[in-house]
Formats: sequence, C-alpha cells, structure tokens
Amino acid sequence: MDTYEVDVPVEDEEFIDDGLASELTRADLLKRGAATGAAVWGVSALFGAGTAFAGLEARALTPTFYQWIYDLHPDISKHINKDYAKRARLDAKIAPVQGFGIDRFVAEAKKKKSTWDVYVGMTPFVEMAALIEAGVIEPWDNYMSKAVLTDLIPSIRKEATYQGHVWAFPFLLDIIIQSWNGELVAKAGLDPEKAPKTWDELIANARKVVSSKAAPFGAVFDAHGWRSLAPITHTFSTNVYTPAGLFDFTNDATVNALEVMKQMKELAPNNILEPGKVDGGVNQTPDEEVFAARQAAYYIKYQNAPTRFAGTWPDPSKLRIAGLPKQPGGAGATVFWDTGAALFKYGQNKKQAADYMRFLTYDPRIWRHGLGKDVKGAPGQLAPYSSLWAKWQKSPPPWMADWAFTVYDQLKVSQAIRTNKFGLTQFFIGQPGWETYLKGTEKDPKKALRKARDLVLAEVKKSKKK
Amino acid sequence: MASRVATVRPPAVHTVRLTTTRFARTWPYVVPALFFFVGWQLWPIFRALWISFTDFSFLLDASPGSAKWVWFDNYVTAFHDPLVREGLMRAAIFTAIFLPGMVFLPMVTAVLVDRVQNRRLASAYRLILLIPAMIPGPLIFVLWIWMYSNGIGPINYFLVNLLHIYDVTNQPTWLGSTDLTFLSIALMEWWWGLGFHTMFYLAGLATIPKELYESARVDGASEWRIFWKITFARLRPILLVLVVLRFGTAFALIDEYILLGGFNRDRPTYTWTVYMWDTAFQVGDQNRGYAAAVGWIGTLGMLAVVLWLFYLFRNRD
Repeated sequence: MDTYEVDVPVEDEEFIDDGLASELTRADLLKRGAATGAAVWGVSALFGAGTAFAGLEARALTPTFYQWIYDLHPDISKHINKDYAKRARLDAKIAPVQGFGIDRFVAEAKKKKSTWDVYVGMTPFVEMAALIEAGVIEPWDNYMSKAVLTDLIPSIRKEATYQGHVWAFPFLLDIIIQSWNGELVAKAGLDPEKAPKTWDELIANARKVVSSKAAPFGAVFDAHGWRSLAPITHTFSTNVYTPAGLFDFTNDATVNALEVMKQMKELAPNNILEPGKVDGGVNQTPDEEVFAARQAAYYIKYQNAPTRFAGTWPDPSKLRIAGLPKQPGGAGATVFWDTGAALFKYGQNKKQAADYMRFLTYDPRIWRHGLGKDVKGAPGQLAPYSSLWAKWQKSPPPWMADWAFTVYDQLKVSQAIRTNKFGLTQFFIGQPGWETYLKGTEKDPKKALRKARDLVLAEVKKSKKK
Repeated sequence: MASRVATVRPPAVHTVRLTTTRFARTWPYVVPALFFFVGWQLWPIFRALWISFTDFSFLLDASPGSAKWVWFDNYVTAFHDPLVREGLMRAAIFTAIFLPGMVFLPMVTAVLVDRVQNRRLASAYRLILLIPAMIPGPLIFVLWIWMYSNGIGPINYFLVNLLHIYDVTNQPTWLGSTDLTFLSIALMEWWWGLGFHTMFYLAGLATIPKELYESARVDGASEWRIFWKITFARLRPILLVLVVLRFGTAFALIDEYILLGGFNRDRPTYTWTVYMWDTAFQVGDQNRGYAAAVGWIGTLGMLAVVLWLFYLFRNRD
C-alpha cells in the first residue's frame, strides 16, 4: 500500500503556530478556535463574546466543489477531506445542480452573506472578472502564504492575479495540447512516436492519414474559440490581447491560426463546427465522438479529452500526447486555464480556507491519480507548483504519464486567456464572424476576423458604462 | 299610509351586516388564489415591464430600484438590434414548421383512433400514443440528441451503415447549423406531443353526436365532406386552444434551443428567447433592463398574433 506525505511549504505552517507565540486578540482566538476545530461556542462563552459573533464563527470551513471535480479526483472526498477534518473542522459540499452559480453568489453578496466560504471551481478567464466586479469574492492576498504564492508556476500566478491582487487559488490545470491515435498514424505509414513539430507537418500527416484511408478524418478540433482559435494563435504569438484585455481577433497571429483551422476543417467531419450535446452546447462536441470512435488521427483539445476517450479504445496505450506544434519563429505557447478556488467576501474562516486549499493542492494523491499512466481515464490535470515539478523532474516518478513533462515544458511559455468580463463570451459572440471563413462564405480570413472583432465590440458597447 | 311607512326596512345596519358577513364568508376562499395570481403572475409581469425601462445590470446595480430610468432607450436599441430582428424571424420560421404538424397530426391520429371499433385495441392505441407524453423533458432531449448523433445515432447508422446512402464524410448533420435543425427539433416535438394532443381531439370527438354523421351519410355526403363539415367544424374550439397554446410554446421555445444549439449566435436556434437569456444571465454586466425589453417586444408580438388567432377562430354559428 502506498503511503503519502503531504509536502507543505514550511512557512505555511505558521497558520497553526505563529499566532500562539504572539499576543492574541479575542477575535483571533475565536477565529483560530473555529479553524482548528475547537468548540467556538465554548471559547466564546469563556471570553464572554457576543452571541452573534460566536454564531458567525461557529460553522466549519465550508468549501463547495463541483461534482465533476469529485468524480475526476475521487481522493478528495475519500481521503483528503477526511484527513483534513482531523486537523480542523470541515464541511465540504457538492455544488447543488440548481440554484448554484454566479447569480446565486451575487444575490447573496448583495445581502452581505454567503452560504459557502470557498468556491472550488472558478476558472479565471470565465468568471473571475464578473465575480470581482459584483463584489462577490475577495483576494487571497492576506491569506495565501508567500511560500505558496512564490511556488506557483509564474504563468499560473499571472493568471490568478488581476489588478495587482491574487483572486484565484490555482488547483486543476487544463491545457490545450495535441494528441494522436498511434495506431491510425502507423497505419498511414507515419512514425507514431514522432510528434508533428509544425502545423504544416501536422496537416501533411493528417492528409496522409486520409489519403491512405487509415481513417476517414485526419485531424479534429473543438470549434469553441477558447479551445482552438486562441490556443493555436498562442503558438504563433501570445501578444494577442488588446489593452482592454480582449482577444485581438485581427492580430496576424490570429489570422495564421484561422488558416490552420481551415486546413484542419477540410480533414474533419462535416459537423465539426456544431455545438456539443450538453452544457449549453459546450461539451460532448463532435470532435470527441470521432476521436473516441477511432475515426480521427490527430486531435487538438485540452489534455483530459484524449486521455478519457483513449480509455474506450481496445488498446489505450496507442494514445500519444505532446505540446501543440509551432511554426518556425512562433511563440510555441498554448492556452491553459486553472480551475481554482475563490474566496467569498462574505464567507467565513478565510485563513483556514487558504490552509485547506494548500493542504488539498499539495496532496500527492491528487497528482498521482491525475497524471498516473496506470489510471484509467486519468484527467491529466497538471500541478500548479514549481516545487512539485522540480521534484518530479529530479526523480521522475514511475507512475507519471510519459507526456507530462513535454506538456509542462510548454506550460512555462504559455498563457491563460486574459481575465475580462467578456473573457469567455467574446468567443461565443465572435464565432459567427470567423466561422464565415471556415465555412467558405468569406474567402478572406482577415475580413472574417474583422467581423468577429466588430461583433464583440458591438456587444461591449452595449455594456453599461459606469 | 302609516302601514306603508312601517313596511320600509330600516336601512343600512342590516344590509351592511349582510354584506360584511357575505364578504367575510366568501373572500377568505379567494385569498390564496389571489395571492398566487398577484404574486406569481401580475407582479413578475409588471416588474419585468418596469425593469425594461431601466438600465438595470445585475452585476453592477444593487437592485433594479437603484438603476437609472431610461424610458424607451432599451426598446429603441432593441428595434435597431439585428439579433432581435433575426431572433424573431428564426422563431417565426420554427413556429411555421412546428405548428401545422403539432396541430393536424394529432387531429388525423384522433380521427383514426376514434374509428377503431374494438375497445381493447382502441385503449391500446391510446396508451401507446401517451407513452412519449409520460417521459420527462430532459430525457426526451437526451434521447433525441442520441437519435440525431452522427457517430452513434440510429438514424445515421441506418442511412450510412445499412442503406449506404451516405458515408461518414457526408452524412446528414441533423442539429447545429444545418437547414435540418428546425425540422429535427419539430420532429422531436411532434413525437413528444402527439399522444397528449390526440387526447384533446378524442375528447372533442366524443362530444359530436353520432346522429350528425348518420344523417350526413343518409343524405349521401362523402367521408371527406363529412370530415370537413362536421368533424373539423365541431373541433374548431379544440383547434383554437391547441393553436394558441402551441403557438406560445413554439414562438417562445428556449430549453430545446439552448440544449441543442448552444450560444453560437449564427445558429438558427439562437432566437430572441436565447438572446434574451444570454443577455440577462451570461454576457457582460448581465444587462437585464435590455433583456426585459427584448422579452417584452417578443411578448407583445405574440399577443398580437394570439388576438388575430382568436379573431380567426371566432364563433361563426
């Protein structure tokens, strides 16, 4: 049986120890009593604290998780939360299917209250700006230790930071990569161990797959802009954001990316631009279906898609993963996003929340399960800490998936999509514009992308000016 | 004279007491219904109307009360917004495809089922027809998404693998951005609502006296003429109810569009209802004042059509 040791930055142990040596205020003691599982009612009675204050601090730390996080990482509910509960009071919840989301958070914040203390599930480019603007969350600045902050991979720290404050406690990192079905590639007479280094090479290989009839489709991608247009653009340049933080649709790098997509679309199924089947069209997209059915050789998507679908193949070991190709002179980056934690402004147990998140995110069981090559359907989400990677690089763990280091290398130069209240929706709004080129109704990619930009700017203009 | 004076009732006290008693005995029964009517119907309607005249943004304003009153600005913007125009047009196209099938298919089915003489067989038909109506909406959507799926759906499996009419590279894409999208959704809705609507017509058919049919046949009327002059004419009130109800369902459809079409604004499923929802709950500052105005424009358009339908189906007896 494996035993695990939780790597915790030494500095962060101050949560438990530092205050005991210094002078404690009554409020400090109450807060720490709650955090360490002491009976706050008793403590507050001892010091004659007001009932209201005692009641406020009485609840255990209440983080809320999406069900999918528990599903992908069963160790959280089975082991890690139980271990943490031995150290401090914890009441982890699963996000309700209904009545959960930004509307609920904002409505509660307007009443200066919060049902939960920590929201584990925030993706910065999707919702962080809106949560900040609506006064729902507060920065981790006063709670996250310096040791954790400096240990974050710089690009991830940048993603978590907005207007000089750290708003996200990074956790599960998804990154857009290339993958391929080694069996189909070999059948086409190509070397399945060799990753295409440039987009030209990937497209040439994909054409060979189709022409050799190894598979009906050479390459597939997810049509949503943040999963294809933006990551492919980042392989050319990451300097593709306007001063307002919007994606620069008219940048030369974006034009190059759209041309790459057009070539891939010709090698993809005819429904590749269609929406997905669940979650408002966002998930279960057509690319997933064909890659799982072994009808497509090359695949551009976040890493846990191919790892999940290869699990349905007769021989999952045929899956190969690498960082995205790049053209000579290109930035060689990609797009990633972290599903992290936000701290509710009107929640409680804030310092304990930081302690819990550190405890959770450093736990090796998460990464052993997530990156384990022997784990069926491993989500493949990368750890956000430099120290963990340094340790693994020094002594590569036998369980770790072969592709992990390759993708990690690309992570160093990659960037998240900028935090903006149109961070995600700009890709829905602009999609009809750039798709005119992919569908062939517009011959000039620049015109198509200008249309995309204009659509986004028109929507931004509609937004209230305050 | 004196006796006449004596017969005049002493006024008010008795009448007032009677009225008060009657009021006290009857109104308490109405209060719950009144509460729900005002709280669940009138209040939201007027609240949404009021919000549509403000610049209320959910993320920025503490409450609609703190938003700025902008009079008709939202309406003016909406009238010039191509997404509103296009959204209304898309909803109208879907309604035109959906409504005839949803109204006439059940009518034909009901007439056929009504002619079945064997009681057990007639009950079996009714039961089978009602099965789809018993399935909850989300399951229906999941089922039909699977049916229409390119890779694993039975429809394309039939067309590609069994009949070899298509191959995987050119097989029909039923949902998404194709011309087949609305027809695909309408087919699903027809299948789902067929049994339920057939029951409406069967109830209507049961009220038509059999003697009318017998007399018509004795007079030598053809079956086709009997259908139009008796059956169809007598089912007009049912037809009106179904047309009005289903017009509302079709023109204001949203769940199916979001589930099957997502939020790509180029898709036919991005209608005015999806735009309204998107604006109110997803995009930017969640501009609910504008979203409410879009909602009211759609609603007023629907009300106008409903009034016209009432006129069209007015009682001409």
